[in-house]
Amino acid sequence: MSEEKSLEGWTPEISDAATLAEVVDRAFDYRGDVTVVLQDGRELIGYLFNRNRDVAEPFVQMFEREGSGPSSVPYARIRAIRFTGKDTAAGNSYAAWLRGKEAAKAASSPPGA
Amino acid sequence: MSVPVSQMWTVATYVLGQRLRGNTRYPLVLMLEPLFRCNLACAGCGKIQYPGHVLRKHLSVEQCLAAVEECGAPMVSIPGGEPLMYPEIGRLVKELVARRKYVYLCTNAILLKEKLEAGLFTPSKYLSFSVHMDGLKQEHDEAVCRDGVFDQAVEGMKEALRRGFRVTTNTTLFDNASPIRMQMFFDEMMDLGVEGMMLSPGYSYSKAPDQEHFLRRQKTNELFSKMLENPKKRWKFNQSPLFLQFLMGKQDFECTPWGNPTYNLFGWQRPCYLLQEGYAPTFKELMETTRWEEYGRKSGNDKCQDCMVHCGHEPTAVNHTFTSWKGFRDTVAATVTGRL
Repeated sequence: MSEEKSLEGWTPEISDAATLAEVVDRAFDYRGDVTVVLQDGRELIGYLFNRNRDVAEPFVQMFEREGSGPSSVPYARIRAIRFTGKDTAAGNSYAAWLRGKEAAKAASSPPGA
Repeated sequence: MSVPVSQMWTVATYVLGQRLRGNTRYPLVLMLEPLFRCNLACAGCGKIQYPGHVLRKHLSVEQCLAAVEECGAPMVSIPGGEPLMYPEIGRLVKELVARRKYVYLCTNAILLKEKLEAGLFTPSKYLSFSVHMDGLKQEHDEAVCRDGVFDQAVEGMKEALRRGFRVTTNTTLFDNASPIRMQMFFDEMMDLGVEGMMLSPGYSYSKAPDQEHFLRRQKTNELFSKMLENPKKRWKFNQSPLFLQFLMGKQDFECTPWGNPTYNLFGWQRPCYLLQEGYAPTFKELMETTRWEEYGRKSGNDKCQDCMVHCGHEPTAVNHTFTSWKGFRDTVAATVTGRL
């Protein structure tokens, strides 16, 4: 299993542009919803699925949880990003399934076998 | 090889046409993902880990068809997610067949019998159900993390074959695969009457639940060499024999990341079906603005070093067949003799 720690619940401080770019990259890689806090205080909650820094005005794209989307938000309008949604890739479905199989096998084995 | 002659001809003329026009980068198979939702959660899959509201979304048929037109590839593979859960799968397939695209509908086949009985599909040389089968019953049910799926898939395949559909299988192999068990699996699939089998080593998706069992390059060569050293004549593979030789370590191919471009809810995926490093709004932009030199083994990119997956290397093998005498000769030899 992956030992990488989930970012679920992370509320990073964004102090400069370099940090913003880093947090956006982490949010892009995150398989859960995030809350994007805009400079005007508005909050967008949804899945951030794309970012592009190779353009004159870098932007992120997201599907908001409530709404059809997708919507684009320029980096310059972002004040903070919080990792508020459940990390759907942090689950251990395979490990849980293996444990279940082992338990079922043990239960069906005759005692002392 | 079990690819129908008409399909081979279509691919050959397409590749040669691209070369004659001086195109060096062109797509062979569009990987069209109309949805991410699936009725399984397989250990090696990194495709479905999204929040519920994303999983509930899907592309419209019109979006899918626009992507197909834009891309222009002669073959369209419909993975997902589980495409049989896509509410408009019948209409989508019908439209693609009408456009004479060779469609591989990649399904776990849990819903196949039900959809066939509902009359959703019509047999066509352009349509093949590519059923996910990761080995014999024990191995497959373990790979998909649910007991009974192998039997359901077999039932669906039998029904499809009975109704005259093309049926192939696609198998992803991990480092716990047994060459002998896989050979038994090939026999079983041939006994069922499938047209051909597709094989590929798995790719270690960073988001996949099981990170322990992905094959490294040398192990891939060893496994495939043992498995395919003396292939039975009756085993039919629905893929390039040169790609199988590559997996056995007999060919050295670089990746062609643009060979199987991927389109889904997020747009055109950069750079390939496996890596998600961003999305382009159009196919043209994908092709023109992706830094292709940063991908493939020779690039030194860590993420590409152990990758031998079909979506990047089979296009290389196909191009090799149709653009070099050696490639053509090796392909003909393997096809005629059945030796890899």
